[in-house]
Amino acid sequence: MATNEQTAIIELKHIDKHFGSLHVLKDINLTVHKGEVVVIIGPSGSGKSTLCRTINRLETIDSGEIVIDGDILPQEGKKLARLRSEVGMVFQSFNLFAHKTILDNVTIGPREVLGTPKKKAEEEAMALLKRVGVENQAKKVPAQLSGGQQQRVAIARSLAMHPKVMLFDEPTSALDPEMIGEVLDVMTELAREGMTMVIVTHEMNFARRVADRIIFMDEGRILEENEPEAFFSAPGTQRAKDFLNTLKERDR
Amino acid sequence: MTNGTISIRDALYESPGPKAKKIIAAATVLSLVVLAALIYLVIHQFYITGQLDSRYWSVFARASTWRYLGKGLLGTLKVALGSSLVAFAIAMVMMLGRLSSIRPVSWIAVALIELSRGIPTLLFIYFFFLVPSQFGIMLPVYWKITLPVAISASGVVAETLRSGVNAVPKGQTEAALSLGMTDGKVFFKIVFPQAFRYVIPSLIAELVIVLKDTTFAYVVSYADMMLNARVLISNYDALLAVYLVVAVIYIIINYLLHRAAVFMAGHRKTAAA
Ligand SMILES: Nc1ncnc2c1ncn2[C@@H]1O[C@H](COP(=O)(O)OP(=O)(O)OP(=O)(O)O)[C@@H](O)[C@H]1O
Ligand SMILES: [Mg+2]
Repeated sequence: MATNEQTAIIELKHIDKHFGSLHVLKDINLTVHKGEVVVIIGPSGSGKSTLCRTINRLETIDSGEIVIDGDILPQEGKKLARLRSEVGMVFQSFNLFAHKTILDNVTIGPREVLGTPKKKAEEEAMALLKRVGVENQAKKVPAQLSGGQQQRVAIARSLAMHPKVMLFDEPTSALDPEMIGEVLDVMTELAREGMTMVIVTHEMNFARRVADRIIFMDEGRILEENEPEAFFSAPGTQRAKDFLNTLKERDR
Repeated sequence: MTNGTISIRDALYESPGPKAKKIIAAATVLSLVVLAALIYLVIHQFYITGQLDSRYWSVFARASTWRYLGKGLLGTLKVALGSSLVAFAIAMVMMLGRLSSIRPVSWIAVALIELSRGIPTLLFIYFFFLVPSQFGIMLPVYWKITLPVAISASGVVAETLRSGVNAVPKGQTEAALSLGMTDGKVFFKIVFPQAFRYVIPSLIAELVIVLKDTTFAYVVSYADMMLNARVLISNYDALLAVYLVVAVIYIIINYLLHRAAVFMAGHRKTAAA
């Protein structure tokens, strides 16, 4: 799935971050290329979410540099908002806008941020809702949908902005088991179509299937970075071995 | 909510269980009985002392009495409406100031909110009665009552709005920011509309306070229902009868507001559930 063109979409350079005295990100260096699917795994509290959220500055960083498609991520203002609009984000808890219909959830970004006319935004939104399989829910409000449906709408909402890259922070962790598949299917499809993706997940089979690269994090550091087959069959560090073993225990 | 986060609001307003329902029902019956007994005692006392004689009530046989009270009621409603709108506008500014990340702005807003909540309405009324005229500003009598009532309510309304804003889950803001919305758009398109829905019942309850405060209109001689009632009393010597009727009218209006609040609360629940 990796493309030959090696355009960097995300570059993280020497990122450090503290929460108070807690050092959550330690000298993180990571480059994600166009069309690449990078899956971040690691034990709870290792900093995966924080890393993901620094990429569109939902978390600030102490030092280092973040470059999105050649532009340094600014600290504030209109330019930050513009760069954020190019980076889609899908959250564990969906975060659909509770007071808006499903259709409005998908059109509000293009209309408010890109200035897309209502009619065009709605046409595109309906096409996207169809693509994720919830087009017949367009007039409902989020609370009327199942978790799996809500998360698929959230993906459609992100896609409506035509992002250059999409971030997923444990998109299936809040879902009942029978709904996980439908969301992973949508994501697999996206990956197949060449979307650049950074995914934090505990779904190892999915990771193995879609990832071009696995990043293993522990205690705020990237400990390993490898292709899925190599990583899963022969992890290079004891920490990664232990982590994979606990997962196996859990799934048993 | 299906997203796994049960908000404090949901927990607080959880509907009562069977046991709680029984207790509520028993308490309701008991308080109704006590209330009825009290009302009976009062009326009986008035009856004995002859306060309920028909001569005291004849004033209500005249259409002019009702027209006069109606005019007063209109004045009351005008002040209530004006004060509510002005209070809301001031409250919005104070609430935005309080939420501002610019420290001094936030401090000033906190100070203003505390002043508004801490000072009795009557003192604001004296202020607008006495101070502007010292500077040669002649406020119309309508504004002499409407502005102080509004200012007095604005602090509470500001805090109510802020509690609504704080109740909107953080994820809503984060999702909006991720779409590339600017802070202003995030607030006015995503956060505030939801916050406002949460607090509609509280805001309506605060209307009741505004309505009660409008009875200070007599201080500035604005013809509200209370002032007109006083005029009727002094003309017809029917103190109890007039006050009873006026009280009933106030109760009806406040009850309607209360019902509206309950209706909106139920409405909000079904809309968001
Ligand atoms: N807002 C915050 N304030 C203080 N500490 C935080 C905050 N957010 C996260 N942390 C701490 O930072 C560390 C890293 O958190 P993070 O959420 O990035 O971990 P994670 O790898 O995503 O874990 P999980 O698998 O449980 O989601 C944890 O120790 C966490 O308690
Ligand atoms: Mg996490």
